[in-house]
Amino acid sequence: MYESMILRTIARLMLPLLLLLSLFMVVRGHHLPGGGFVGGLLASAAIILQIVAFGPDYAREIIPVNYLRVAAIGVGFAACWGLLALLQGDPFMAARWLDTPIPGIGKLGTPVMFDVGVYLTVIGVTTQLSLVLAEEPTLYPLRRSPPPQTEPVAPEG
Amino acid sequence: MLTAIVLSMLALAPVGLLARYLPRPLAGWVLALLPLAAFAGFAARAPLVLNGGVLIESLPWAPEMGLSVRFSLDGLSLLFALLVSGIGTLIFIYTAYYLAGDPGMGRFYVYLAIFMGSMLGLVLADNVLLLFIFWELTSVSSYLLVGYKHDYPEARRGAQMGLLITVAGGLALLVGLVLLSNAAGSFELSEMIAAGEALRASPFYTPALLLIFLGCFTKSAQFPFHIWLPNAMQAPTPASAYLHSATMVKAGVYLLARLHPALSETPLWTYTLTAVGGVTMLVGAVIALRKDDIKALLAYSTVSLLGAMVLMTGIGGHDAPLALVALILAHALYKGALFMLAGAVDHEAGTRKLSELGGLSREMPRTLALTSLAALSAAGIPPLFGFVAKEELLHATTHSKLAPGVDMLVVGATLVAAVLGILYAWRLVSGIFFGPAAPRKKAHVHDAPIGMLVAPGVLTLLSVILPLGLLPVVSALLQPAVVAITGEPEEISLHLIPSALSLPVVLSLVAIGSGAALTRFVKQISAAPSPLPAWLDGDRIYDAAISWLLDSTTAFTRAVQNGRLRNYILYSLLALLAVILTPLALFALGGAPAPDLSDVTLPEMVAALLVPLAILGAIRARSRLGAIIVTGVVGAMVSFMFVIYSGPDLALTQLLVEVISTVFFLLVFAVLPASFQRLSSRATRVRDGVIALGIGATMAAFTWIAASSRLFPSISAAFKAEALAEGKGENVVNVILVDFRGFDTMGEITVLFIALLGTYAMLRLRPESEPTIADMRGKTEPDAGFLGRRGRREMGLASRAGHENGPDGSEAPAPVGQARGGQEEQ
Repeated sequence: MYESMILRTIARLMLPLLLLLSLFMVVRGHHLPGGGFVGGLLASAAIILQIVAFGPDYAREIIPVNYLRVAAIGVGFAACWGLLALLQGDPFMAARWLDTPIPGIGKLGTPVMFDVGVYLTVIGVTTQLSLVLAEEPTLYPLRRSPPPQTEPVAPEG
Repeated sequence: MLTAIVLSMLALAPVGLLARYLPRPLAGWVLALLPLAAFAGFAARAPLVLNGGVLIESLPWAPEMGLSVRFSLDGLSLLFALLVSGIGTLIFIYTAYYLAGDPGMGRFYVYLAIFMGSMLGLVLADNVLLLFIFWELTSVSSYLLVGYKHDYPEARRGAQMGLLITVAGGLALLVGLVLLSNAAGSFELSEMIAAGEALRASPFYTPALLLIFLGCFTKSAQFPFHIWLPNAMQAPTPASAYLHSATMVKAGVYLLARLHPALSETPLWTYTLTAVGGVTMLVGAVIALRKDDIKALLAYSTVSLLGAMVLMTGIGGHDAPLALVALILAHALYKGALFMLAGAVDHEAGTRKLSELGGLSREMPRTLALTSLAALSAAGIPPLFGFVAKEELLHATTHSKLAPGVDMLVVGATLVAAVLGILYAWRLVSGIFFGPAAPRKKAHVHDAPIGMLVAPGVLTLLSVILPLGLLPVVSALLQPAVVAITGEPEEISLHLIPSALSLPVVLSLVAIGSGAALTRFVKQISAAPSPLPAWLDGDRIYDAAISWLLDSTTAFTRAVQNGRLRNYILYSLLALLAVILTPLALFALGGAPAPDLSDVTLPEMVAALLVPLAILGAIRARSRLGAIIVTGVVGAMVSFMFVIYSGPDLALTQLLVEVISTVFFLLVFAVLPASFQRLSSRATRVRDGVIALGIGATMAAFTWIAASSRLFPSISAAFKAEALAEGKGENVVNVILVDFRGFDTMGEITVLFIALLGTYAMLRLRPESEPTIADMRGKTEPDAGFLGRRGRREMGLASRAGHENGPDGSEAPAPVGQARGGQEEQ
């Protein structure tokens, strides 16, 4: 964490903007530059910015989700949409589309939903990695408060 | 039906766990229904095979590649299948009595059933790949059987030795079989055997045959690979009896017999098998006579007999195949019985050392009767079935196709082995039951319960009644097997009483006479000093080899993985250089196209020049922050390149990745001092510079060649055309990612997730006692070598520093944290 007034102000301002931008990227991704990977990276950039400016504790507080779980849900979510075609007797991940487009989003289909799974996975993985690294006492000793025990520490792997 | 039998053995193996819920002896009788059903199934199909038919069953496996799960039942398979399932039934019954007090009996039944299923699959498979799979399955399941008492280091060592030797041989076998199927153009055994002429003429014949020999010799415990078999006697006796009598060790002999019609009668085949089989026969017999442990004595006598069987596959001639199958049958009957009886003696008397036994004839009369009969059969004394088989063996050696001189040598060796066989059989019986009684280990030694004697009793009874009136039946059973080995229709018949006083009969009489005469000196002969030098001991060589292997891997690991990140990077880059530079240099020598720089635009040129400038800046940078920012320029320029080539998606992703990795750098570097310090010497820096330049130049050349040479038409046009029509999206890159190549993306996000799990587990889920990175700085790991002390103990090897074990051989308490080290846990 860096104690910089400019950084902190900007980070606070940027958080909602970047998160919105990331959603925007996912939604437009199927027709214009964007998509799950880019959107996911943008969202985690927003959160990492908070880590850099205020430290991991603040970042965990302001968006209190378990990112490990987000990543797991993302992978499972992405895989689920591939199963749809399997149930109907087609190869795994064959695309299925709705006939009518949804206003503001466009045509919805399994590839788009799959992209949402990718989005969640990228957010979960990148953010959780940053948090784990930032909370590592030997790697990042600048943090002043002890790490919050949000997850129980298992005795042995 | 065949498929059903084989697969049900494997699938029903867990039924063995029933043993837990049934009273012990009953469990054996109930579970024995499983192999009994298999036996009945084969017996029901026997008439078809005995009339010259072959039963074939085939399931599609990978039809596109012409592969099928194919089982066939011919004479040879039938003989083995009946032995495996029949003796298996008896072993199942015997186990219930032998392991009555053992809590793990259910597990043992599971292993036995898997083993039986693999062995049946092995002898029935008509596809070489299928055969190989079952071949290795028998190795694995016998490993489980031998290591059943895994609390004992000797059992672990024996199991490991068997596994290492037979699996190594199995891999050689796989290569040999693939070479042969290549030459024959088919993976089906029957077609390979039919293509015998072509196989013998093929240039692959010699290497393939040598590799197959390696597989068969290791499996069938031929000299010098025989050492695993006596060590495998660490298995509980039922497993030993099964392994030795009917199954595992005969697999090599089975395969040699199976390939006999296609590959035999070349000098390579004949003389290799004659030499190896003959030496094994003699070495096994000599060692067997000297052993004190009755199971070891029996194990080496099996080695000797296996040598005789391999000899029979090698020497050629009209009578060898008959001698081979007769030996297989006779050996299965008496060796199975002898092992089970040895187990009964061990079970009742508490020891199986001849020096601690003796004079048990009064206490164990029933065991005495059965053991004597089985031993007489083993010694080849008329009128037992062992005699009939040994008679055929001598007959075959005198009618071989070997060169004159060599054949006399073989006859002599067989005669000596026959005499030794009589001696060790005598030593076994007299040592246990007669002579002065040694001090008893148990207070009240008495006969084994009837249930324990049922199984060996049945086998011994067969040894007795088969030659007395049932020889025509045996001949009918063996004839199709002989036909399968010779590949030609043959009429065979076994006789108990020879029709004339021919040479083999005389030899047989000589063997029996001299054997009987020498029995009085058996003690002196067996106690004579070993004729072999001590260093030639196979066990010792094996241990030394394993130790050497572990030490050299430790040394290698220590040299490569020395814990310095910069060395890892160095090695990785050098490996990359070797992998890319070598083909690149070869390609350039072949005449690479000249670089075409005519259509390079100004923005491209700017970006291309800024990258090396930024790198130079990073090298010259004095502060970390500066270096990080200048490095970011490189990524930004690459991103700019994507923009120029109209890949906005890629540019966006690249830019974001660049930003996030810069942030990561900042997170990590916040700990380090702001400016750089020079810690490496000038020479190191020059070396690193040279390597870096080499890598850069190689990658540049690689990119240039990749961009300027196109081997296949580009698929980008197709992607562009299909994106909207099929993928319903205008962003081609994204449509490729989520639709056309969606499965790849699925894999990628899974990898990402697994990487996260790994990092998370490493950083978060470590126990309190685990040393942190800070603790480990400046400390060296205790020197335990590859696998660590615990691993070495598990391999049955003494750790290099003997004092680490407590006085009672127990594990000395390891300091906390030390036992957790990555190497120790391997």
